[in-house]
Amino acid sequence: MSKSLMIVDDSATMRKIIMKTVRMSGLEFDRTEEAGNGAEALEKLKTSAVDIVLCDINMPEMNGVEFVKQARQMDCSKNTKIIMVSTESGQDLIDNLMSSGANGYITKPFTPERFQEKLTPFMN
Amino acid sequence: MLEQMTMEQTILDAAREVFETMIFMDIEPAGSEPQDTSSEGAALMGSITFRGGLEGCLTICLSEACARSIAANMLGMDSGDQLSLSEVGDAVGEVANMTMGSIKHRIQNTYSDLQVSIPTVVSGRQLFPMPGEDFTRGQVCTTLDEIFPVTFSMYYKQSQS
Repeated sequence: MSKSLMIVDDSATMRKIIMKTVRMSGLEFDRTEEAGNGAEALEKLKTSAVDIVLCDINMPEMNGVEFVKQARQMDCSKNTKIIMVSTESGQDLIDNLMSSGANGYITKPFTPERFQEKLTPFMN
Repeated sequence: MLEQMTMEQTILDAAREVFETMIFMDIEPAGSEPQDTSSEGAALMGSITFRGGLEGCLTICLSEACARSIAANMLGMDSGDQLSLSEVGDAVGEVANMTMGSIKHRIQNTYSDLQVSIPTVVSGRQLFPMPGEDFTRGQVCTTLDEIFPVTFSMYYKQSQS
């Protein structure tokens, strides 16, 4: 089944690293998008929805927490699976993100196995 | 407040986690003083600040050649020669970010409220951080793959509020 992915991170290099790691995990996507912050991601989702978003938290302009909240208000992304990818690991923050509508959490540094574990449930 | 020795071990453990998991380079302690890398050309310094119960900054200083090697490994490339300085700096910023994240995770039982900034990276020669006088310094000098010297410095103090 064809799947699409968006990677949201203010670091272009980290977006490439995440993409490389996703490929190493063995997961395949027909279409991939990138955005440099939450606001840019929301704009892209309005014109081209995706199945899964991998999103950083600490970003300029719009952070990942605000992105999740706003994405859940939009029809085009209310069913999109949003997995946060961040160095932040506080349980309160993770709980807040999950209650705001995030579907999972991956801590940096990460491994291909971690992506496989967290994304596979959303691939079918 | 965390003892300097404890903090230095925490920095080393965090750096090891980052380099072993995502960069695939061996990192080992290399004495107590940073090696002079000024003869190796340009250098980069990535830094990230934090505040909460503890405030200060973490810096990572390394040569541009070392940074290119790190960036290439992170991106799965054979060589970092083709990467722009911006891409290389981005990679150094992420190393600082992930190392700080790992440190934060390791000390969260003592300091659960640390807020971390977005990393910044500067390039130049003979770079070193200069915090205020009342900061404690935890410094870890290492070598990567037995070739490149890399210095992690953490300047920190208990918050007044």
